[in-house]
Amino acid sequence: MSITLDSVFYTYAPGTPYASAALKNISFTVEKGEFVGIMGKTGCGKSTLIQLIAGLLTPDSGAVLLDGKNINDKNYDRNELHRKVGVVFQHPECQLFETTVERDVAFSLKHFGWSKEKVQSAVERALTMMGFDYEKVREKSPLEFSGGEKRRIAIAGILAAEPEVLILDEPIAGLDPLGREAFLVLVKRLNEAGMTILMISHNADALAEYAERIVILKDGMLFRDGVTREVFSDMDELQKNGIGVSEARQCAALLAERGFDVAKDTICYEDLLKQMIAIGRGQQ
Amino acid sequence: MNQLPTGMYQPGTSVVHQMKANIKIFCFLILTGAVLMAETIWGYAVLVLFSGCLIYFSKIGLQTALSSVRRLIWFLIIIFVMNLCFYGPENPWIKIGIFAPSYEGLMQGVHIAVRVILMMVIGNVLMVTTAPLVLTEGMETLLLPLKLFRIPTEQIAMILSVAMQFIPTLFEEADMIKKAQIARGARFDSKKLLDKAGAVMPLVVPIFLAAFKRADELSLAMEARGYRTDMARGQRKFGMPTGFEWLAIITCSILCILQILCL
Repeated sequence: MSITLDSVFYTYAPGTPYASAALKNISFTVEKGEFVGIMGKTGCGKSTLIQLIAGLLTPDSGAVLLDGKNINDKNYDRNELHRKVGVVFQHPECQLFETTVERDVAFSLKHFGWSKEKVQSAVERALTMMGFDYEKVREKSPLEFSGGEKRRIAIAGILAAEPEVLILDEPIAGLDPLGREAFLVLVKRLNEAGMTILMISHNADALAEYAERIVILKDGMLFRDGVTREVFSDMDELQKNGIGVSEARQCAALLAERGFDVAKDTICYEDLLKQMIAIGRGQQ
Repeated sequence: MNQLPTGMYQPGTSVVHQMKANIKIFCFLILTGAVLMAETIWGYAVLVLFSGCLIYFSKIGLQTALSSVRRLIWFLIIIFVMNLCFYGPENPWIKIGIFAPSYEGLMQGVHIAVRVILMMVIGNVLMVTTAPLVLTEGMETLLLPLKLFRIPTEQIAMILSVAMQFIPTLFEEADMIKKAQIARGARFDSKKLLDKAGAVMPLVVPIFLAAFKRADELSLAMEARGYRTDMARGQRKFGMPTGFEWLAIITCSILCILQILCL
């Protein structure tokens, strides 16, 4: 399912002294199956952007289209929208409320009119995907788990609905390195299975490694939109605007400064390693 | 959360904004007395006129000043109709079952509705022109005399100001949780009563959990920075009232005395 934003404007608290423009003239299209990273400084409008796409906010002007249909049309089916677009907010662990893990994960499914067996198998699949033993956890209260586990349960609740688009807001912040890697691999696997991924992150390394395309917002406006490799190549300009690039890219820049022949579009560790090995071999 | 909640503080530089919080609260209390004492049409007329001036001088706009009245319009209509129908059953115009609208009921209904509206408007002006924290500080100074009766006014003030400070945070958190649940397919806009009741749990449980967690963290943070209940704390010094503030106090007092004595 493709997502199109057509010159979207959005203002917070219009008509009061607190009014502030959050998004100004945003237009871009995300095709089905893309993995897009969204970057930008705190307060640049990233969260507003994903809430508009998920239909949780309505733009002041402009349109948000899913598969060419305006989601803010009166006769657009909201249930369909929430089924197809899954959103993992910051601190998703806060949204748990049911008495058992199974019921919590099944929460979004009960609006779909699925059979009991289908719901159960979807819940089992989602929990297994997030690394839980379904039989062991299903009857437990979601609130007795640790913070990281709660987050995985909450994400299972979103994946259980088998969304076509998955929106993630800072999903890896606060995870330990192993958990982070495991989570990113999982997201990549979902992406390869055809799920469109939109991921907000300050972690340039993760985006360099996994996202194919980067969208950068600055003061509510579109600042960059392009292939990850090309966007990160322009390191100086990004850093001037307060946006970090991946460590591999910075390392490549340092090497280039010292006269080594390292390409500008070196953005992930694998690229860097290959080139460093080549340089080492050349010197021998 | 695209719409500001009723009575939310709106920064400004009007004379009403600039008045000290304790004096504003004091004037509010006097005006409450005046509204409750009002009996005649002239009494109400003076108060309505005064509220109008208040709105004008505070520069918050009629829209904002009346927002709470608009919110509670059904409440007002219901108390009006109740008074109209049940107040004076001795000589009703007409009697339909238990409903007996009468002239006395009509007058009583108007009285109460006008009083409630006046109170809401004046209260709204106070809330909208005073930052919540300053408001609690103002209350603290007004509560000071209670110390004589060994009432822990400082702790009451601390509880109030912490509660006030966290309203926006909790509001934001609640908003985020609501959105997260909507994204999971929860419906909060359903007209059916059963659906509405069912929609409460996904909100209430996470909001309470978050609030408790926050309270716990805050108490730790306060203790870590040396907060003790048995030690005196610094206070905002409001100082003596300015000329305008004396004028406000005197005007409000005269209004109140007028209501008691003649109107």
